[in-house]
Amino acid sequence: MKYAPLLLLVTVAVLIALPWLVSGSMLNAAVQMLIAALFAMAFGLLCGQAGMLSFGHAAYFGVGAFAAVHAMNAFGGEGLLPTPLLPLVGGATGLVSGLLAGYFSTKRTGVYFAMITLALAELLHALAPHLKTVFGGEAGVSSFRMPAWGIGFGSLNDVYFLTLVWTLVSIGLLYLFSKTPLGRLALGLRENAHRLRFLGYNTHALGTLIFAISAMFAGIAGALQSMNIEAANYVVLESHISTAVVLNSFIGGVRVFLGPAIGGALMTFFGHVTSDLTRVWLLYQGIIFVLVMMFLPRGLVGELVERLRNPSGEGLARTLGTVLARLVSLAIAAFGAVFLIEFLQRVLSPEYRAGVTDGTWPDIALFSYDWAPLSVSPWAFGLGLFGIGIALVTMVNRRVAARKEAQA
Amino acid sequence: MDQILFALLNGTIYGLLLFMVSAGLTLIFGMMGVLNFAHASFYMLGAYFAYTLQPLTGFWLAIILAPILVMGVGILVERFILRHVHEHGHAHELLVTFGLSVVIAEMIKMVYGKFAVDYRVPAELNFAAFSLSGIDYPFYRLFMGGIAVVMFIAIYLLLTKTRVGIVVRSAIYRPQMVEALGHNVPMVFMGVFGIGAALAGLAGAVAGAFYTTNPNMALELGVMVFVVVVVGGLGSMGGAMAASLLIGITNSLAVGSDFRIADLLTWIGMGGWAEEIGGLLTMRMSSLAATLPFFIMLLVLVLRPSGLMGEKE
Repeated sequence: MKYAPLLLLVTVAVLIALPWLVSGSMLNAAVQMLIAALFAMAFGLLCGQAGMLSFGHAAYFGVGAFAAVHAMNAFGGEGLLPTPLLPLVGGATGLVSGLLAGYFSTKRTGVYFAMITLALAELLHALAPHLKTVFGGEAGVSSFRMPAWGIGFGSLNDVYFLTLVWTLVSIGLLYLFSKTPLGRLALGLRENAHRLRFLGYNTHALGTLIFAISAMFAGIAGALQSMNIEAANYVVLESHISTAVVLNSFIGGVRVFLGPAIGGALMTFFGHVTSDLTRVWLLYQGIIFVLVMMFLPRGLVGELVERLRNPSGEGLARTLGTVLARLVSLAIAAFGAVFLIEFLQRVLSPEYRAGVTDGTWPDIALFSYDWAPLSVSPWAFGLGLFGIGIALVTMVNRRVAARKEAQA
Repeated sequence: MDQILFALLNGTIYGLLLFMVSAGLTLIFGMMGVLNFAHASFYMLGAYFAYTLQPLTGFWLAIILAPILVMGVGILVERFILRHVHEHGHAHELLVTFGLSVVIAEMIKMVYGKFAVDYRVPAELNFAAFSLSGIDYPFYRLFMGGIAVVMFIAIYLLLTKTRVGIVVRSAIYRPQMVEALGHNVPMVFMGVFGIGAALAGLAGAVAGAFYTTNPNMALELGVMVFVVVVVGGLGSMGGAMAASLLIGITNSLAVGSDFRIADLLTWIGMGGWAEEIGGLLTMRMSSLAATLPFFIMLLVLVLRPSGLMGEKE
C-alpha cells in the first residue's frame, strides 16, 4: 500500500489532463462519472462507515439538484451566489433536509432504518408533482449557468473542471471527516451502538448528524448534476436513482474508503458505453450486484485491497496465473450469458414480435451473425459457452483448493 | 353516508390485500431474521404468471397455479441464493434480496414490456354484488377480501393447531433446540419462505386482475407493505393486521375527501393566511391520499417507535 499516494497523484493528474485526452462525448460521461462517484461516496459515509443502509438517498440528491436550480434562477437569473459556489446551496439544503429526515429515520436501526428511508423518499416523490412552485410539475425547472470570476461556464470543459474540483474537494473533506472524532464514532455506531450508548454517547443525535452530513454531500452531487444539465425534473427523486447508488457503492465495496467512488464511476462508465449496445443495462447491473454480493461480499475494490494486503503466499507468478485463468473462464461464461440475454431480449422485443407473421420467425442479427430463433443453434451456443465457462471456473477453484490442502 | 360506507368497505379490502403480502414478510422476518426486499416482487410475479396462464388454463386454474410457481421461485431463491450469503449476516441478505428485486423487475420489463398488460377480471366474476343508492358494488372486491380472510384463517389454524405449526413456531424461538430434537430446521425455513412467497403470489394473481398489472406494481405495493410493518411492528402478525387495515381505510377515506388544511385554519381565523401560503396547506386531501400512509408512519415513529404491537428494541 506504500504506492497509494503515488497512485492517487497519477489519477488526479490524468483527471486534470482528461479534456485534452478524450472526445466530447466521453468528457460528458466523465462528468456523470464524477457526480456518481461523489454521490456514492456520500452514501458510503452513511452505509459503509456508520452501517446505516439507506434505500432513499435520491431524496437528498434531488433536493440538492432543485435547490441549485432555484439558486441559479434567484434575483431574476443573477444567481444567489457566483456559479462556482452554487453547489454550496445544494449542500446546505441537503444538510437541512438530512437533519429533518435523519431525526425520524435514526429513531430505529437496522432493517427499520432502511424501510423508513425508502418510505421518506417515496413520500417526497409522491408529493413533488403536486408542489408545482417548487418542483415545476411535469416540465421541471430549467436555468442557465451565468459567467463568474472571468469563466464563461458555457463550454463542457468549464463544467468538467467545476465538477472535478467540487468532487475532489468533497472526497477530500469526507476523508478528513473520517479521521475526526465524529468520524471515528460513526465506526463505533456501526460496530456496537449498544456499547456506545453505554459509554454515554447520544446515539440518536450521532446518527442524525452523520445522516445529515451524508445528505449534505448527496446534495452537492445533486447540485452538480442540475448545474451540468441546467435543469431539474422530479424524475431525480425517483427510486431508480436510490437503487443505482446502492448497487454502485456495494459493487465497489463500501468498507474501503474509495470503494463507492470507484464503483460509481465504473458502473456509470459501463452504462454510458453500453447504452447504444443494449437496452437491458439495468438488468446486467442487478445481476452483477447479486453476483458480487454472493461471491465477493467485500465488493470489487474491497476484495482487491484485501488480496494486496494478504497475498496468498503462492508466489507472484502462480497467483497471477490463477487470477488470469479465473478471469478468462469467467469471461467465457459471461459472454455466453450476455449472448443469451441479448438474444432473448431481441426475440421478445415488441418490434420483432410485430414482424412475426403467420409462424415465420425472421433471423436475428447478433454479434455479426444471423441466428434463427426457432433453431437450436443460438440457444446451444449461449448455453454451451456459459456452461464451459462455469466448468472451467469450478476446475480452477478445485485445483486451488487442492493445492491449499496439500500445503496444509 | 353511502359514500363513507363504500370507502370503508374498499379500504378494508385493500387493507386485507396489504395484509396478505405483509403477513408473509413478517412471518419470514420473524423466523429467519431476513427482511425480504423481493417479497413484493413475488406479488408482481404472481400477477404476471396468472396473466400468462389465464389464456391456457382459464382464470381459476391460473390463480391456483401461479402461487405454486411463485413458491417454486421462492424456494429456489432461499436454497441457492439466501442460504449462500447467510454467513455474511442479515444486512447482506437484505442487500441480496434488494438486488433480486431489481433483477426480477428488469426481467419482467424485458419479457412483458414496460407498460401495463391486459390482465382483467374474468367476465363471469365481473358483476355487481349489491347496489346502494344507485351505485353498484363490484363482486370481485368482495371475492378478494374473502380470499384474504380464508388465507388468514388457514394460516392461523396451521400455525396454532397443527404439529407443523408447533415446529415452525418453536424454530423461530429456539432453532438449535429444535434441530437437536431431530427436525430439519433449514427445510422448515425453506418451507416458510416458500409459503410466504406463495401468499404474496396469490395476492398478486388475484389483485393484479382488479388493479393494474405493470412492472411498477412491486415497488408501489412494496413501499406500502414496508410502511405497514413499520407501523405494525415487524414480526407481529396482529400488528401487521391492524396496520394494514388502518392504512387501507385511511387511504380510501382520504381519496374521497375534499378536506384541506386551509379549511381547518379558517376555523381559527387563519384561512386567509393559509390561502396565501398555498402549497401543502391548500392541497385537497384526495390528492394527498398517496402520501397519507407515510405521515401515519412518521407519527407512529415519534409516538411509539417500536410500532403499534412491536416489542421494544
